[in-house]
Amino acid sequence: MTAVLRVGAKPEPFRGAGVLLDGTSPVPRPVSLAIDEDGPALILSRPDASDERWPLAALRQLRDQADREEMVLRTAEDDDARLVVREAESRRILAARAPALHRRPPVTGTRRLILWGAAAILSVAAIIWYLVPLMADQLAEYLPPEGERVLGERTLEQIRGALDETGFGLLRLCDDPAGDRALAALTARLTDEAALPYDVTARVLDLDMVNALALPGGIVVLFRGLIEAAETPEEVAAVLAHELGHVAARDPTRMALRTAGSVGVLGLLLGDFAGGTVVLFLTERLIRAEYSRAAEAGADAYAHGLLAEAGLRPSALADMFDRLRAEQAGDGAEPPGFLRHFASHPALGDRIAAARTADAALSGPSRAALAAEDWRALRSICQ
Amino acid sequence: MEEVLDTEFRGRRGRLFWMALRFSILNVLTLGLYRFWMKTRLRRYYWSSVRPGGLPLEYTGRPLEKLLGFLIAVTFLAFYIGLVNLVLMFLSLSLLNHDYGAYAISFVGVIPFIFYAAYRRRRYMMARTRWRGLRFGLAPGAWGYAWRAIGHWLLTILTAGLLWPRMTFWLEKYRTDRTHYGNLRLEQTGRWTMLFPAIVPLILGLLFCAAVIVVSIWQEERQVMTGLVLGLPWLVYGLAHYRTVTFRRLTEAKTAGAIGFRAAPRPWRVFRIYMLGTTLIVLAVLAFFSLLGLVLAAFFAGNLDELGVIAELPERLRGLPTWAKAVLALVVYFNAFVFWDVLTHVFLTFPLWRHFAETLQVTGAPALAAVRQRPRDAAQEAEGFAEALDVGAAI
Repeated sequence: MTAVLRVGAKPEPFRGAGVLLDGTSPVPRPVSLAIDEDGPALILSRPDASDERWPLAALRQLRDQADREEMVLRTAEDDDARLVVREAESRRILAARAPALHRRPPVTGTRRLILWGAAAILSVAAIIWYLVPLMADQLAEYLPPEGERVLGERTLEQIRGALDETGFGLLRLCDDPAGDRALAALTARLTDEAALPYDVTARVLDLDMVNALALPGGIVVLFRGLIEAAETPEEVAAVLAHELGHVAARDPTRMALRTAGSVGVLGLLLGDFAGGTVVLFLTERLIRAEYSRAAEAGADAYAHGLLAEAGLRPSALADMFDRLRAEQAGDGAEPPGFLRHFASHPALGDRIAAARTADAALSGPSRAALAAEDWRALRSICQ
Repeated sequence: MEEVLDTEFRGRRGRLFWMALRFSILNVLTLGLYRFWMKTRLRRYYWSSVRPGGLPLEYTGRPLEKLLGFLIAVTFLAFYIGLVNLVLMFLSLSLLNHDYGAYAISFVGVIPFIFYAAYRRRRYMMARTRWRGLRFGLAPGAWGYAWRAIGHWLLTILTAGLLWPRMTFWLEKYRTDRTHYGNLRLEQTGRWTMLFPAIVPLILGLLFCAAVIVVSIWQEERQVMTGLVLGLPWLVYGLAHYRTVTFRRLTEAKTAGAIGFRAAPRPWRVFRIYMLGTTLIVLAVLAFFSLLGLVLAAFFAGNLDELGVIAELPERLRGLPTWAKAVLALVVYFNAFVFWDVLTHVFLTFPLWRHFAETLQVTGAPALAAVRQRPRDAAQEAEGFAEALDVGAAI
C-alpha cells in the first residue's frame, strides 16, 4: 500500500466532467468542471467557447429524478440551462460543496393564488348556500306533482341504498299486507281532511332506527325502530302528521332540488380523490343540515291542526318526546336519530308544550287512532 | 451526433411504489389538497425515467400553478354545473317526468368541456416538458379540438365503431400538427386508412362474443356461454392491439423536418401487462383485506391464537357503536382507494411507460443541431379544467 502524503496548503483541486445543455440548442456539450475557490463558483469549460461560472450557492438539483446515478443541475436564476453530471466523484464533491442544492424554487404569484382562491370559495359558497337554495325554492313551486313523485321515488331508492348494511342492495321495505292496510288506513284518516296535491304513500323501512322522514311527492317513510318505540298508535299518527306537514309545505322537494344542484359542485371540488361517492355523501349530509326552524314549526302547527280535525290528541307527540328524552337521560346513550331530528332546532321543550296546548283545539273526546288488531298488524309489518 | 437515438428507461418499480404510497397517504390526510404536489412529483419521476438518446426528459410543472388552474376552473364551472344541473333536473322532472333525462342532458352539456379540458391539459403538459434543455409546446386550439372531437365521436357512434380509426387519426393529427419541439414543428403524415387493420382483432372479438351470446340464447345451451372465457380476454387483446398498433403507425408517420421516429411496441406485451397488472392489483387488494381481517380479529380476540374469532367477525363488527363503524368504514374505504391508486402505478402505468419508451427510436438525429429554444407558454389555467372534471386519470 502506498500512502499519499499531500504537501501544501490546498487540497488537490477538483477536476470533473459533465454535459451542458445550454437551453438554446439541444446539442449536448461536454464540459470539464472545476471549482474556483474565489466566489466560490463552479467553472464549466469548453474548448470551443468561453468558460461559464455557476456560483456554488446558486446550484440547484432537480428533484424526484428516476436515475440516481446522475445529477441534473440548474442555477437559481436561469431556468433553461442544465448541467448533467454522471461521474460519481464529481457528484460527491458537488453534493458536499454546493450549499443549497435542494432549496425549493421561491413561491411566486401568491397574490394571484389568494385572489383566485377567494374567488373560487365565493363562487362555490354563493352557489351552494345562496343561488341553489334560492332557485330550488322557486322551482319547487312550479314542479308538477308527477315530477315530484319521480323525484321522491328516486330519493327513496338512494336512501335505501345508502342505509343497506351490505352496501350493495336496497334496504327492505316492509310489506306485510295487514300492516300495510293498517298504515294506509291511518294515513287516509289524516289526509282526508288535508288538501294535498298528490296521494300520500306511507312506507316502513326495515331499520332499527327511531326516525321518520318525508320525501318529495308525498312519500312518507317511517323506520321500524320508530314504530317499535311508539307505545300507542296515536304517537305514530302524530309523527305521521308532522311529516305530512313537511309534505304540504313541499319542504322535501326543495331539499331534493338543492341536493341535485350542489352534488355536482361538490364533485368538482373533491376531484378524483376517494372516487367521490362516500365523501360526497357525507359532505352532502353535512350541508343539507335539517329543515329550518320555521319549517319545523310550520310542520308542527300543520300536524296539530290535522290531528285535531281527525279527532286525535296532538299531545301524543309530546308523550313520545318526553319518554324518549327520559330514556335517553336514563341510559346516557346518544340521542336516537328521531329525537335528534326533532331536537335539531332547539326549544324541544317549547314544542312539547305547544303540542300539549294544541289539545285544546280538539272538539269532543279523542278517539283511538287504530283499532287494537290494526295496531298489532302495524307493529308486525316487518315480519 | 449518431443517426439513430435509442430510448433508455431508468425507472425503478420499488421507488415508484414508495413515492406513490407516501403521496397517496398525504393526499388522503389533506383531503385531496396534496394531489397537486403528488401529480407534479410523480410526473417528474416518470418523465425523467424516459431518456431518448441517453438524456432524460424533464417535467417542469409546479404544484401551485396546478392549484391556481384548479381554482380558476372551479370559479367558472361551479356556476355552470350547479345551476345548469338544477335547471335540467327541474325541466326533466316537469317535462319528462323522469330524472334520467336530466343526467343524460347534463352529461351531454359537460362533454365539450371534457374535450376542451383534455386539450388544455395536453398543452400544459407539453409546455412543461423539456428534453435536452428545450421546451415542447402545443399551440392553442382547445375549442377547435372539442368540436372536432364531438363530430368524430358522433360519426364513430353512428358507424358502430367502424370509423374509430378515422377519429384516432384526425384527432392525433390535430394535436401533432400543433406540437413543437423548440422551434421545430411536428407533422402527422399518413392516412387514416392505415390505422384500419389495427381495429380488426377488436371487431373479430366483438363478433365472437356476440355470436356466443346469440347462440347460447337461441339454442338455450348455457354451456355455450363459457365461450366468453375466451371472448372477454380476446376483447382485452383487441384493445391492446388497437392501442399499440395505432401508436406504432402514428408515431412512425410523424416527422419534424428531417427527424423521424421508429416505434415497436408489441401488442402481446401490452396485453400481458393489462392482464397480469389487473390480476396482481386485485390479488394485492384481496391480500390487504385479509390482513385487515386478521388485525381486526386479533384486536377483538386479544391475540391470534383464537383465530376462531374470524368467523364471528361480522357479528362483532355489527356490535360496534355507530361512530366506530363509521371510522372503520372510512379507514377501509380510503385504504382501498390508496392501494388501488398505488398499485395501478406500479403494475399498469409503470410497465406500460417502460415498454413504450424502450421501443421508441428517434431517427435523423443530426438535424436536431439546428433546432432552437421556443418562448415560454405561461398556460396560466394549467390543467385546472381537466382536474375539476377528472379528465385523464392515469398520471
